[in-house]
Amino acid sequence: MCSVGDENFETEEEKCMPAGGKITLANTKCNKCRENDPIVVLRSKDAYCEACFLAGATHKFKALLGKHKLIRPNDKVLIHHQIGHPSTALLHFLRCGLDLTTHKKLRFDVIFVYVEDNSQFTVDYRKEVLKKIENEIKLFKFVIKFVSFNDYIVNNNKLGDIVDNPDNLTLNEDDKININNIFVSKLNKTNKNDILHIKKRNLLIEIAKNLNCKFILTPEISSDIASQLLGEISLGRGSHVPIDTGFCDDRNQDVKILRPLRLFDMKELAFYNKLNSLDPISIKQTEINPYSSVQDLMKKFVNDLQVNYPATVTTIMKTGDKLAINDNGKQKCQLCMGPILNSNEELSSAESTSFSHWVSTQKPDNSKEKSRQEKYDSILKHYKVSENNNYCYSCKKIEGSIKS
Amino acid sequence: MSNLEITIEFGGGAELLFDNKKAHNVSLPIKNKQWIIGDLLLWIKENLLKDRPELFLQDDSVRPGILVLVNDADWELMDTVNYVIQPKDKILFISTLHGG
Repeated sequence: MCSVGDENFETEEEKCMPAGGKITLANTKCNKCRENDPIVVLRSKDAYCEACFLAGATHKFKALLGKHKLIRPNDKVLIHHQIGHPSTALLHFLRCGLDLTTHKKLRFDVIFVYVEDNSQFTVDYRKEVLKKIENEIKLFKFVIKFVSFNDYIVNNNKLGDIVDNPDNLTLNEDDKININNIFVSKLNKTNKNDILHIKKRNLLIEIAKNLNCKFILTPEISSDIASQLLGEISLGRGSHVPIDTGFCDDRNQDVKILRPLRLFDMKELAFYNKLNSLDPISIKQTEINPYSSVQDLMKKFVNDLQVNYPATVTTIMKTGDKLAINDNGKQKCQLCMGPILNSNEELSSAESTSFSHWVSTQKPDNSKEKSRQEKYDSILKHYKVSENNNYCYSCKKIEGSIKS
Repeated sequence: MSNLEITIEFGGGAELLFDNKKAHNVSLPIKNKQWIIGDLLLWIKENLLKDRPELFLQDDSVRPGILVLVNDADWELMDTVNYVIQPKDKILFISTLHGG
């Protein structure tokens, strides 16, 4: 047995990772200014004082937008508003950025949209939530539009009304049933989630086009990105990881989706809101069985690991960021609109699987006249690469689950 | 000796678990040992938390996703559950789980 390097580990205890030093108020000063007393600990190791923390958060937000130089002055930007700490922090980041009088001012026009998708609740409660959202946005002096996700799904992906007043949104008690009716019966939750996720993205792009916006900002944070990334890989969407989880999703030529909060974690934004005296709207939590779908399981996996290993999320993200699309295909998938990768002469892993499946469902040729090579050649002649190239690998598997 | 008077606050949706009331002034009975946050969590479970304690507590601490601030500072600076509660302390619980 190899024993190189073993001599350093004498006892059981030393084999384990050393516990990080405890951070206490008595022995710690702010990690940045080294003067003031810290009020927050990030990544379980870095302590910051209030001023440095707030400056750091604002800088991180602006730096990510600035670095990519995508948005030009006076461009119209659509903000996908949701409920929770990230969206509320985003509101504040934008308001502060737009109100600046220095050269660091953000110079684009923003318009907010809330896509109503709370069909798990009663109509009365949904109306109450919509009113709260309207008030929250008004507080920041922004304009918000409302769109019903249910309408879009039920009306076969046709963009319905974009309304200013949430009272004009049609809400029905049986919206949840109506959404489920578009799927073939007994479709698993993983595929449903996947399809609804794609549909929601398509809807946002439709809204942006309708409102003449070139960009959409969405409020996903680092742990959302990390679990999304692992989910994509498990669902056979590995080739779309860069556009689905990167900073910029440019699958649509006219409208780009940007994720300005992807480097923030929840604690950071919750503290940001607290220090700015912002209290986000809260809605009832619905109980989700983490084992009911791949997406929910990935969330649980990432979040559970993150508790004891604070580098989990960043490690997943930084690894994901190294992946890029070798964009040799001009063809777009009809469902998710992502690029379909052209196959080379060699079979891709998806094609090999399909070939292997096809071969094993053929009757064996037991004739003695043909050599093995001839049998192989004749089998190959009959095998046709699937002609259905309108969908990407992953969408091919789910496109049949929607009733047309 | 008088009781230990402190303020407990809930935010970010955690108040939904406590009759939608954000601030609670409580007075903790004096006991032999000092009150640490770990004891307070058990006290909250017994006295304030009406139902579904799993949405607030997990093992001997708060559920991941709930932030704790002692006098407006992160409890990670104060040894989390082992912090010894002082009179007039303000302990704030912020949930990050009530969104969608």
